[in-house]
Amino acid sequence: MSSGLSSLSSSDELDNFNPRTSPTTPPKPLEEELASLALTLPHPHLLSDQEDANGVSDGSEADSNGLGIQQSDEEMRVGEVCEENVVGNSASMVQEPTGGSDGAGVVWGRTNSEIEVDRPASPSSSGYAGERGSSSASSGRSEMDGVAEDEIQELRDDDASIGENSNSVPSWVPGKRHGDEDDASISWRKRKKHFFILSHSGKPIYSRYGDEHKLAGFSASLQAIISFVEDGGDRVKWVKAGKHQVVFLVKGPIYLVCISCTEEPYESLRGQLELIYGQMILILTKSVNRCFERNPKFDMTSLLGGTDVVFSSLIHSFGWNPATFLHAYTCLPLAYGTRQAAGAILQDVADSGILFAILMCKHKVISLVGAQKASLHPDDMVLLANFVMSSESFRMSESFSPICLPRYNPMAFLYAYVHYFDVNTYLMLLTTNSDSFYHLKECRIRIETVLLKSNVLSEVQRSMLDGGMHVEDVPVDSLPRYRTISPHLGQQRAPSEFPERFKESYAGMGGPGGLWHFIYRSIYLDQYVSSEFSSPVSSRQQQKRLYRAYQNIYASMHDKEIGPHKTQFRRDENYVLLCWVTQDFELYAAFDPLADKALAIKICNRVCQWIKDVENEVFLLGASPFSW
Amino acid sequence: MGCSSSVPDRASGRSGGLNPENNAADSKNLRVKLVLLGDSGVGKSCIVLRFVRGQFDPTSKVTVGASFLSQTIALQDSTTVKFEIWDTAGQERYAALAPLYYRGAAVAVIVYDITSSDSFAKAQYWVKELQKHGSPDIILALVGNKADLQEKRKVSVQDGTEYAEKNGMFFIETSAKTADNINELFEEIAKRLPRPTSS
Repeated sequence: MSSGLSSLSSSDELDNFNPRTSPTTPPKPLEEELASLALTLPHPHLLSDQEDANGVSDGSEADSNGLGIQQSDEEMRVGEVCEENVVGNSASMVQEPTGGSDGAGVVWGRTNSEIEVDRPASPSSSGYAGERGSSSASSGRSEMDGVAEDEIQELRDDDASIGENSNSVPSWVPGKRHGDEDDASISWRKRKKHFFILSHSGKPIYSRYGDEHKLAGFSASLQAIISFVEDGGDRVKWVKAGKHQVVFLVKGPIYLVCISCTEEPYESLRGQLELIYGQMILILTKSVNRCFERNPKFDMTSLLGGTDVVFSSLIHSFGWNPATFLHAYTCLPLAYGTRQAAGAILQDVADSGILFAILMCKHKVISLVGAQKASLHPDDMVLLANFVMSSESFRMSESFSPICLPRYNPMAFLYAYVHYFDVNTYLMLLTTNSDSFYHLKECRIRIETVLLKSNVLSEVQRSMLDGGMHVEDVPVDSLPRYRTISPHLGQQRAPSEFPERFKESYAGMGGPGGLWHFIYRSIYLDQYVSSEFSSPVSSRQQQKRLYRAYQNIYASMHDKEIGPHKTQFRRDENYVLLCWVTQDFELYAAFDPLADKALAIKICNRVCQWIKDVENEVFLLGASPFSW
Repeated sequence: MGCSSSVPDRASGRSGGLNPENNAADSKNLRVKLVLLGDSGVGKSCIVLRFVRGQFDPTSKVTVGASFLSQTIALQDSTTVKFEIWDTAGQERYAALAPLYYRGAAVAVIVYDITSSDSFAKAQYWVKELQKHGSPDIILALVGNKADLQEKRKVSVQDGTEYAEKNGMFFIETSAKTADNINELFEEIAKRLPRPTSS
C-alpha cells in the first residue's frame, strides 16, 4: 500500500489510512516510498496543486513564495475581511476595555506564533535562535493562560514592565485567581484573556478574573453592546479594538464574552465560549433559562456556587488540551488486549441499564461503551472529564451526582456515579435512573475486580509512566515496522531496533527531519493521538504556543469561507507547520523552522504509516457510542 | 436514593443480589442510611471525613452532588452500626435534588456553622423540609460545627439547643478540626436508633 502524501489524490489509497483497517498490512518497500517521494519533490506547492485547485489557503499562498516566512500581511487581510462582517463602526464602540497601553502602529508578529509584545518583524533565523536560547530559561516560568506568551527572552525583559506582576507561578493552581480585582484594577486590565458569562439583563454570572459582583458595571456595558446591536436587528460576533478582540456568543438569556489579545482566531475563541457555555449546561442544564423567563433579573451566580474551579480548569485546558479545539478525544496508549479487557467488562455492566460507562486516566480514555443508540459527543467528554477532574471531592470517595451532557440532552440531568481507582484513573457510570446508585456501586465493584485481575490498572500506570508516541521513534529506515509493535508502545524504543546514530543526531532536536510534534486526528473515530513533546517544545509556554499555532492552522483549515483546505505548509520563525486533511484523518505536524520541506513531507508519511501500524494501541476501535 | 437499609428492589438491577450487603440487618448489626444536609461550607464533608477516616483537611473541597461513605461503629452493648452516609453538596443548585439523597434515610444530620447566622437559618430550612418530606420516623440531629472558632461565634449554644428541643431533635456542637464531639455525635445517633424487634 502506498502511504505517500503525493498519492492522496486517490481516494482508494486514502482509505488505507482509515484506522479501522487491519493494522497488520505488510510494510511497504522502501523503494516504493522513495518513488512516491520523488513524485512529490518537483511540486513547489506541496500537495495542494494535486489536490485542490481552489485551495488558495493561507498555507498555499505562503507556500507559493517558497518559504512562507512572513505571513502577517495575509493574516491581516483575513482579519480585515472578517471585520466587515462585524457591525459597522464597531471598533469605535468599544472603549478599550482592557487597557489600551499597548502601542499602536507597531508591527507585531501576526503569524500563528504567539509573540504578544510589540516588536519589529524579525527574520526567521533570529527568531529561531531566540527560541532555542530561551527554552531553558523560560521553562521555569510557566504561567497561566495569556500571561507569558512571549517566549523570546530578549523581548521578555521589555515586556516585564507592562506584563504581569504575579509572574513565576511554577505550576497551575486551580480555582479562581485574583478574585480581589475588578475592572478598575490595572492588573485586571492587563490580563490577556478574559472570559465573562452574564445574563441578558447584564448581571454578571462568571468572570475569569476578579469578583463578579464588583464587575456589575462592566457586565452592564457588555450587555449594552450586545443589545444595542440586537436592537438594530443584527448580531455582534466580534469587535476588534486595538490589540484586543472581543468575541460575543449569545445563548438565549445567557451571554458569553471573551476579551483577548492572544491573537487567537475568532473561530477558536468562539469555540472556547461554546465550551464554557456547555460546561455551564453540564452543571445546570438548559432549564436554567426558565429562571430568566420567570424573572429576567434573576441572579445566577449563586446557582454556580463553588464551580469557579471547574471553569478555570476548563479555560486553562484551552492552552494544553487539543481536544478543546479538535472536537475529538484521545486514548491512553494500551496494548490491544488490555483495552479489550477493559471494554468487555464495561460492556457487560452497560448492558444492565447504564447509558455510558467510561474509564479514563486523567483526560485520556482507557475504554468506554454506551447503550445502544446512545452517542457521546467528544465535546461532552471534554466537559465531563474536566468537571470530574477539577472537582476535588470526587477523589475523596465514591460520588453520585446529577450532570447534564449538553450534546446528548441539554434539558435533562443524567446521574453520574464517579469513583477513582487510583490518583489518575477513574470510572464514570452514567444513567438516567436517579435511584440506581447501589446498582452502579455494585457494577463498579465488579469492574474493579476484573480490572485488577486482568492487570488493566497496572498497565494503565505503566502507560502513564512510559508516555505515548515519541517523535524520536518515527521509523526512518526500512525496518519492518510491524515488528516494532509490542504490548506497549514504550517497548518499541529498544536500541536494537533503532540505529544509535539516529538517536544521537536528533538528541535534543526532536525527531527525524526536524519533527518536533504531531497530532493525528481520525475522523471516523472522533479520536486523536498526539506525540509526546520533544525537547524543542519542552517548556509549558512552548507547548502552549504550539497548541495555539495548531489552533490557528486548524481554524484556517476549517474556515468555511475560504476553505476547507486539504493541505497547508507554513513556515515562520518558530516552526514549520504542516497540515494535511483527508476524508479519513487530519495530520498536524510541527517541525524545526529550518526543516527541509520534502523531508518534512516524507516524515509526515512515515508518521501516518506509523500510526496506522499502532492504531489498535493508540485508538479505541469499534467504540459504538461514536458511530452515529 | 430509593434504597435505604431495606432490601432494594430495583428493576434495573442485575439478576439476583443487587446489593447483597444491603439485606436487612439483624438485631446485633444495624445498617442505617444517614444524610448530611446544610449550607455550603459549614463542614459537612469535614465531619464525615473526620468520622470515617480520622482526617481533617483545612482546604475546602466543594462537594459535587453527594459523596457516599460508610463507617461501622461498635456500641457497648456489642451491637454494631454501619452508617451509610450521604454527604450532600450544600450548593443551592442541589437543593432541588436533595430528596434524591434523603429519601429513605433513617437519620438526617443537619449541620450549621456556629460562626454564621445564615447557615443557622439554612439549617432551619432543612429541618422544615425534612419534617414535610422526610420519613415520618426519621431521626433528626442538629449539629453546630466549627465549635473551635469560639471567638467568631454568631449562633449561641442556647439558640441551637432551644431550636433543637422545639423540633424534637438531638443537638450537639462539634469541631471537625479538633475532632471534638465527632464520634460522640455518631454514637449518640446510634443509641437512638430503633432496634429491630425481630430475631
